[in-house]
Amino acid sequence: MADELDNIEEFEAKDTSNKLPVGWLILFWGLIAWGIIYFAAYTPAISGWSQAKAFEESTEKQTR
Amino acid sequence: MNTYHYDNQTVKSFIISSIFWGVVGIVVGLWISIQMWAPSWNVAPFFTFGRLRVVHTNSLAFGLGVGAIFGISYYILMRLTKRPLLFPRLARFHLYLFNAAIALAALSLFAGMNQSLEYAELEWPLDIGVVILWVIFAVNVFGTLVKRKEEQMYISLWYIIATVVAVAVLYIVNNLSVPAGLFKSYSMFAGVNSANVQWWYGHNAVGFVFTTPILAMFYYFLPKSTGLPIYSHRLSIVAFWSLVFAYLWTGAHHLVYTPLPDWIQTLAIVFTIFLIAPSWGSVINGFYTVAPEWEQMRTNYLTKFFILGITFYGLQTVQGPTQGLRVVSQLIHYTDWVPGHVHMGTLGWVTMTVTASMYYIIPKIYDTEIYSVKVANTHFYLVLVGQLIFSITMWITGIQQGALWKAVNPDGTLQYSFMEGLIKNYPFWQMRTAGGVIFTIGMLYFIYNIFMTIRKGSALEASTAKGV
Ligand code: HEM
Ligand code: HEM
Repeated sequence: MADELDNIEEFEAKDTSNKLPVGWLILFWGLIAWGIIYFAAYTPAISGWSQAKAFEESTEKQTR
Repeated sequence: MNTYHYDNQTVKSFIISSIFWGVVGIVVGLWISIQMWAPSWNVAPFFTFGRLRVVHTNSLAFGLGVGAIFGISYYILMRLTKRPLLFPRLARFHLYLFNAAIALAALSLFAGMNQSLEYAELEWPLDIGVVILWVIFAVNVFGTLVKRKEEQMYISLWYIIATVVAVAVLYIVNNLSVPAGLFKSYSMFAGVNSANVQWWYGHNAVGFVFTTPILAMFYYFLPKSTGLPIYSHRLSIVAFWSLVFAYLWTGAHHLVYTPLPDWIQTLAIVFTIFLIAPSWGSVINGFYTVAPEWEQMRTNYLTKFFILGITFYGLQTVQGPTQGLRVVSQLIHYTDWVPGHVHMGTLGWVTMTVTASMYYIIPKIYDTEIYSVKVANTHFYLVLVGQLIFSITMWITGIQQGALWKAVNPDGTLQYSFMEGLIKNYPFWQMRTAGGVIFTIGMLYFIYNIFMTIRKGSALEASTAKGV
C-alpha cells in the first residue's frame, strides 16, 4: 500500500495565509503595554510597592 | 509515484500504550476522588491518597500524555517530512523503554519513593531512564527533520521541536540532585531557589506537555479531518514564537504571596497575562479555519472534538492567566478551584484533542473508517458532561473555601475553623466523583470504538493479504 502523501498546500489557506486579525493585534500590543505599566506599578524598586507593605495595610484596615 | 512505508506499527503501539496508561490513571483518579470524601478508601501503605495521587498524575501526564505525544508526533513527523523515520528500529526500542519506564515509575511511586517535587517525583535512576528516552526521541525527531523531503516546515513541526527542546532542559535542571543511595537523593536546590526552579519546571510541564505538543496535533489534524486549510499561516507562526518565548518566564505565578522576591512574582505575572495573546492566536486561527463550514460541527464528528477542545483551551488560557493575578490568587490558591482549572485543561482540551487525533489515525493506518460514529458521539457527550461537572463543582467549592478561609471577625480572628470549611466540600467532592464516573464511561466508549476499529482493520488486512 502506498501511503498518502501530505501536501503542504492543503494546510495553508491561500488568500488569508498572511492575515493577522486586527482584534488579535490589539490584544497582543495591548497586553504588552499593560505589562509594562503593571511591572512598574508592582516592582518595589520602581514604585515602592511591596507585598509586605500591602499586607500590613490590609491588616490595619481589618482590625481598625 | 513513490511508495513509502511509514512505521505505522510503532505509532499504533504507542497509541495503545498511551490508552493503557490512561486507563490506569483514570481508575486511580476516580479512586482518589472517592478518598477525599470517604477516607476508608485509603489502604495503607500502598494505596493511600499520598501515593495514589502521584500515580494518577504520573500515569496520565507521562503515560497517557507523553505516550500519545511520542506516537502521534512520529505519525505527524513522517507525513510532514514525507519520509519514514530515520531510525525506525530505535523508535521500536523507544516504545519498549517507554513502557518499562512508566511501569517502573508507577511501582516506585506505590513504594513511596518520591523526590517531593510535583511532576518530578521520580528518583534519580528513573530520571536517567527518562533522559535516555527523551534523547532517543530527540535523535529521531531531529534526524528525520534534517533528512526531510519537504522543504517547508509546517507549524506542527515547530511545536514538536519546541516540545523536544524545552522538556529536555526543564527536566534535567529540575531533577539535578545528589544521590544518597539507589532510591534516595537530595535536590541541588534548597529553599526559595528550589521553589522557583520547581515551578519554572512545573508550569512549563503544563506548557510543553499539555500545550505545545497538543497544539501540534490540533494544527495537523484539524485541516486533515475537516479538509479546510488553516486560516492564517502567519498567525500560527507569530503565535508560536510569542508563546514559547513567554511561557518560560511565567513559572513564578505559582508562588504568588510567597517569600519569592516581589519583582520575580511581578515579572512572572506580566508574562502570564501576556500569554493570553499567543494562546488565543491559535484559538482564533482554529475558529476562522472552520468558519466557512460551521455545519461541519453537526456533520463531521471530528470537527466537533477539535473545536470543543480548542474552546476549552481558550477558556483555560483566560482562566489560567487570571489566576496568576494577585487579587485572584489570594482567593483561589490552595483551594479546590485549582483542580477545577487543571481538569478543564486535561479533560476538556488534552484528552479531547488526543482522542480525536487517535480517531483520525487508527482508521487511516488500516485504510478503513472508524467503527462507529455514533459511539464516538456518545463518547463526546459523556466526556463533555463529565468534565463540566468536575470543573464547575470544583470552582464553586473552591471559591467557597477561599471565602471561608479569609473571613475574619472584627478582632482579626478567623470566623471559620478549618473543619467547618472542609465539611462544606463534601457534597462537591461527591459530585466530582459522579462527574468522573460519567467521564470514565465516555472513555470506555472511546476505547471500545478504537479496539473495534482495529479489529475491523486487521480482518480487512488479513482478507486482502489472502486475496493477493
Ligand atoms: C475520571 C477522571 C479523573 C478524576 C476523577 C480525577 C481526579 C483527580 C483528583 C481527585 C485529583 C487530586 C486533587 C487534589 O489533590 O485536591 C487530581 C489531580 C490531578 N489530575 Fe486528575 N482526575 C481525572 C482525570 C485526569 C486526567 C485525564 C488527567 C490528565 C490528562 C489528570 C491530571 C491531573 C493532574 C495533573 C492533577 C494534579 C493537579 C494539581 O496538582 O493541582 N486527571 N485528579
Ligand atoms: C496561558 C495558559 C495558562 C496559564 C497562564 C495558567 C496559569 C495557571 C496558574 C496561575 C496556576 C496556579 C494556580 C494556583 O495554584 O493558585 C495553574 C495551575 C495549573 N494549570 Fe494552568 N494555566 C494555563 C493553562 C493551562 C493548561 C492549558 C493546562 C492543561 C492541562 C493547565 C494545567 C494546570 C495544572 C496541571 C495546574 C496545577 C499545578 C499544580 O499546582 O500542581 N494550565 N495554571
